[in-house]
Amino acid sequence: MGGGLAGMVAGIALQQAGKNTAIVSMGQNALHFFSGTFESLKEPDERLAALFSAAGIRVHYREGVRLMPLGTFKKAALSLEDIDIFPNAKFARRVLIVNFLGYHDFFSSFLAEGLEKHGIECRIRFLSLPDLDNTKAHGEMRSVQIARSMDRIWEKVVQEIRLMLRDEDTVVLPQVFGLSDTTVPGRIRQSLPARVVFAGTMPPSVPGIRTQMQLRRRYQLLGGTFLMGDEAIRAHEHEGVVHSIATNNLDAHYLEADSFILATGGLFSKGLRSNPFQISEPILGLDIDHPEDRNNWYNPAFAEEQPYMGYGVKTDAQLHAVKEGIALKNVYAIGSILGNTRPELGSGAGLAINSAFAVVDTLLAEK
Amino acid sequence: MNPNEFDVIIIGGGITGAGTQRDCAMRGLRTLLIERSDIATGATGRNHGLLHSGARYAVNDAESAEECIRENRILRQIASHCIDETDGLFITLPEDDLSYQQTFVDACKKAGIGAEIIDPELAKRLEPSVNPELIGAVRVPDGSVDPFRLCAANMLDAKLHGGQVRLHTEVTGFIREGNTIKGVHTLNHQTGEETDYYAPITVNACGIWGQHIAELAGVRVGMFPAKGALLIFAHRVNNMVINRCRKPSNADILVPGDTVCVIGTTSTRIPFEECDNVAVTPDEVTLLITEGAKLAPSLSETRILRAYAGVRPLVSADDDPSGRNISRGIVCLDHEERDGLKGFITITGGKLMTYRLMAEIATDLVCRKLAVEKACTTADTPLPGSEEKSYEAVAQKVWEAPTTAQKAAASRMGTRASRIRSANRRDDDLICECEEVSVGEINAAIDRMDVSTLTDLRRRTRVGMGTCQGEFCACRAAGLLAKAHGCVERERKDLADFLQERWKGNFPIGWGDTLREAEYTQWIYKHVLGI
Repeated sequence: MGGGLAGMVAGIALQQAGKNTAIVSMGQNALHFFSGTFESLKEPDERLAALFSAAGIRVHYREGVRLMPLGTFKKAALSLEDIDIFPNAKFARRVLIVNFLGYHDFFSSFLAEGLEKHGIECRIRFLSLPDLDNTKAHGEMRSVQIARSMDRIWEKVVQEIRLMLRDEDTVVLPQVFGLSDTTVPGRIRQSLPARVVFAGTMPPSVPGIRTQMQLRRRYQLLGGTFLMGDEAIRAHEHEGVVHSIATNNLDAHYLEADSFILATGGLFSKGLRSNPFQISEPILGLDIDHPEDRNNWYNPAFAEEQPYMGYGVKTDAQLHAVKEGIALKNVYAIGSILGNTRPELGSGAGLAINSAFAVVDTLLAEK
Repeated sequence: MNPNEFDVIIIGGGITGAGTQRDCAMRGLRTLLIERSDIATGATGRNHGLLHSGARYAVNDAESAEECIRENRILRQIASHCIDETDGLFITLPEDDLSYQQTFVDACKKAGIGAEIIDPELAKRLEPSVNPELIGAVRVPDGSVDPFRLCAANMLDAKLHGGQVRLHTEVTGFIREGNTIKGVHTLNHQTGEETDYYAPITVNACGIWGQHIAELAGVRVGMFPAKGALLIFAHRVNNMVINRCRKPSNADILVPGDTVCVIGTTSTRIPFEECDNVAVTPDEVTLLITEGAKLAPSLSETRILRAYAGVRPLVSADDDPSGRNISRGIVCLDHEERDGLKGFITITGGKLMTYRLMAEIATDLVCRKLAVEKACTTADTPLPGSEEKSYEAVAQKVWEAPTTAQKAAASRMGTRASRIRSANRRDDDLICECEEVSVGEINAAIDRMDVSTLTDLRRRTRVGMGTCQGEFCACRAAGLLAKAHGCVERERKDLADFLQERWKGNFPIGWGDTLREAEYTQWIYKHVLGI
């Protein structure tokens, strides 16, 4: 249940091991706003790299910092290949930042100011291409719309940048390349006489959506059943064992399985629900620990850690989901539905991967 | 001429101050308005946005009722682009006393308010969201008014008449010679600059904060802060204002406005020190939802966008220091007469509805003191933007074939929408998709309406007021502000302040879709964009 990063990784790993699986996916998930860095993964993860590489997704590992869309720097290690990781923030001497005219979701002035703080000289230039104006005619310029055009016209963009470039050693471009043709970012890097750094935009994240598509293709290639646009709504449980689930689209046709993995995400992804009195898990009604008094759910300071973001479903040591104090024998919870109830597994994309592999190992060890 | 010398200084950038500045400026005075924060940050921007017919006051306060209906008619003429002529209902529910209806209608008639008893069945047809269990309904000429727009339009007109405005500037003290106030010391919170301004008359129009300003001048004005909490819902559930036909009580007015509707209010006395930071409590939220659903049952299923609270500037009568005899009427104090302090006037009490009348009363007094003989013309001179009544006609004139976004701009700016006629085609790009605000409209506000921060921009254009609460548009608008002001560093902090300000109104109602949106925003800004 759930086709985000956790669900996909679990599904692929199980298919690879010869299991027969199905994934019920609503469609949108946290990969749509993936930053490209697997936060909290501290070591080069060979297993993940192998799984991704088989899906055509290249990751790289290096400890350092990465450039954030608002011109700040954050620590990063394991990341998609799109994301450059630098030993320190002064990664260039002179930078040309290229934006598209009328594109407001790439924050070029913030980037420039952030880089200048580290002694990097910046020049911002805007590109205007007739093909992009056609994009505008069909709606506002947002990352995915531009990315669709870029799959066709990226070479024209390269030509323009070649003309703009003076003595800059680095070009910073928005992450709107390689949505369907994954070779494009690499080809752009090779085509320009300067280092190319791709900086993030306002979501949806183009590398995230591409990653999602690649994972799904790989999963289906391995024989997995991907139920797109569907949603688990109910589980049929008897004495701590779930034997089937009902979904929105399949009516009375229940999905039966030996094991069930709940990877439906947090509040935003609707894996968790909330009302004025409680935070709940809608499919199984799993246990969630949180203070009764709603006043304690929030920190009035926006920038501080928010308690509500940490609430998640209860699990036992092997990530069996807990309902009314009892661990369900064949139901596991992975990914952000765990909140930060399992800090040893990390957070964000790191939590998704670690918990997915942990459950896969448990399942494969069973027989 | 010393550029820091004026005929009159007005302290306070709420509707009373802005209205007073406009009136003074239209009578030919050289005016300066000083506001420590932004326009409409106090009670002006923290109420229902109800264009009272006066019916609510008819039974208990005939004077206020008469003032309201008079001003109601005037505002429809002079501020049409700030007003939505929705009409209103006063409904009687089974738990209410139906006999009150006749008392109510009689009192309305006496005050000159057109109040018409209608069949509950007709009320349901006119306003499908109304509680179907109603047993009585009265139709009155209520409406809704955008207080931010109204305040901005008054200030704009004052500026068009030569007035000057200093926002984000606080009065830190008075320049006093003997028994006369000669001017003010100020501190600009954004630049740190300290400046003195001089004028023979200073008007204190600071709402609840008037008590503090009066203290600085050395006189006492006793205010009684009363907090009112309100909730904004994410849809315009009702098209007419819905009130309860009973003695005024908690949460008994539901007002539609633009794309949303507002339920309120509560009334709690609070200590003066809390005025700067009023918070909405969970109990108030519960009360507002429960009572609101009695007016329109679908409210209990509607997403809440924000919770907020304002502080009413109630004044105690001079002869009653206990505060029991509190007036909701207009209070204009001539401190020369009252306290022997020359050159200082306080205008307070009153309501959003009666701001123009308050301004007229204050300006009359200013003119008397300055021996200027000029009559008030604010009652029949339209505000800038309101020269044409229909926003659709305005949009047509400006754009020939206006898009929905351009129509939305015309509904916000009125005839001033002509100022955003696209200098280049990129001006049509949308920054805020929820409220359909374009680059052109934002740049027009930055250039001509004293915008320093994102929150200032929100008050003038509705950027970030919609369902996403600024999640997507805040960054985009920050980019435009950084460009206009040439300072990214400042904009970075501004963006953080804006998000904090939005969260303040979100967490008291943090559940369901509001919490989903908040989680997303928090994640995006912290982990994806890297604020």
